[in-house]
Amino acid sequence: MHMDFNISPQDTLPIYRQIVEQLRRGIAGGQCRPGDELPSVRALAQLHAINPMTVSKAYSLLEAEGLLERRRGVGMVVASTQPLRAGKGERLALLQPALQAAAAQAVQLGLDEQAALRLFQQCLQEETNK
Amino acid sequence: MTMMMASPGSIAFEAEALCLSYPKRFVGETRVLQDLSFQLPEGAVVGLVGRNGAGKSSLLRCLLGLTAPTAGSSRLLGCPSNALTDELRERLGYVAQTPNLFGWLSGHEHLDELGRLYRDFDARRALALATQFDVTMGTRADKLSLGDQQKLSVVLALAHDPDLLLMDEPVASLDPLARRDFMRALFAERSPAKAERPRSVLLSSHLLGDLERVVSHVMFLREGRVQLVDEWDALVENLRLLKLEAKPEAALPGLVHERPVGGGVWHALLDLRRADGIAADRGQVLRMDDLFEELNA
Repeated sequence: MHMDFNISPQDTLPIYRQIVEQLRRGIAGGQCRPGDELPSVRALAQLHAINPMTVSKAYSLLEAEGLLERRRGVGMVVASTQPLRAGKGERLALLQPALQAAAAQAVQLGLDEQAALRLFQQCLQEETNK
Repeated sequence: MTMMMASPGSIAFEAEALCLSYPKRFVGETRVLQDLSFQLPEGAVVGLVGRNGAGKSSLLRCLLGLTAPTAGSSRLLGCPSNALTDELRERLGYVAQTPNLFGWLSGHEHLDELGRLYRDFDARRALALATQFDVTMGTRADKLSLGDQQKLSVVLALAHDPDLLLMDEPVASLDPLARRDFMRALFAERSPAKAERPRSVLLSSHLLGDLERVVSHVMFLREGRVQLVDEWDALVENLRLLKLEAKPEAALPGLVHERPVGGGVWHALLDLRRADGIAADRGQVLRMDDLFEELNA
């Protein structure tokens, strides 16, 4: 599995939560499939120049939730027991916080609904064309 | 994939009512450290943060036993700072604010000298680090740029794979790429004999964006006092900034810090863990530089 983590110390989420949320989205969206191997704690920490304990913390949380499992000799893998893809409702719920924040900003900027929705559509198109 | 954990309860850095003051020239005294008390667990990577003159270097020197406190005490891995054993010293690495190098010796010659001092000294580890940091090892230290002198000091401090690392603004003169390499080196694989032992690190720095990547804990010092010390993740998740139209009441639950910002507006820093749900959804999340400003402005 190839998973690009986007780690930013400037984010309002602590780094371990950024890893947790990105993996959660990757698994819910089917980008990470059951049995996919995750990068080792050390490799991910060295790649992003972050503390390995931060990566450990993220993996352990997802393991406790049953999304990841520890496999001998391999390391951490996406758990085999979960549905291939989370239901639509669940995936929408994962998207909600980001959109809520965007909505708050749109209101602050005094943008009308049409303009904001058009912009979101444009962003969606850019992502699907990537 | 093993998670590195210290045996529960072991403390790496510890101070108890630590005070340091110097007599002023004619009358009175300058209080450098005032009643510092803290305990930081083994395996912690602690960012020591504060304005110039807040007492960061003095604290590091007291912990290392290089400066005797006026009152109180401190310990490293349980060993009193004023009586560090040889065994403890061998487990210690220190990078002073001004590189502590012998001007007439080259990097290689420094390594030779250190190799005689430390049993666990590993020349191959040191050379690998020097290569990673791109340090010129054949040049006399006093002919190196300040940045290269700092890099060499870091290489020397890490060469014996210390369990405990204290560093006073080790990367101030390094460019962003070199600083990334430095952060990676802090967590590089340890020698097999020490693989199970987590390294504990205490480093002072003004480069807060760098600290945010690597620290597990942060300690804010102001005018010789500990203002705030906690796990960094917990602070990001629980501290919120509220903007108020009036001075917050002292009894406001969870109030950590307050300051007037002009125009009758006040900033109140709240800890959600004690705020009875007050600021949960309307406070602003603070990054380390925002928090630094709130605590020091």
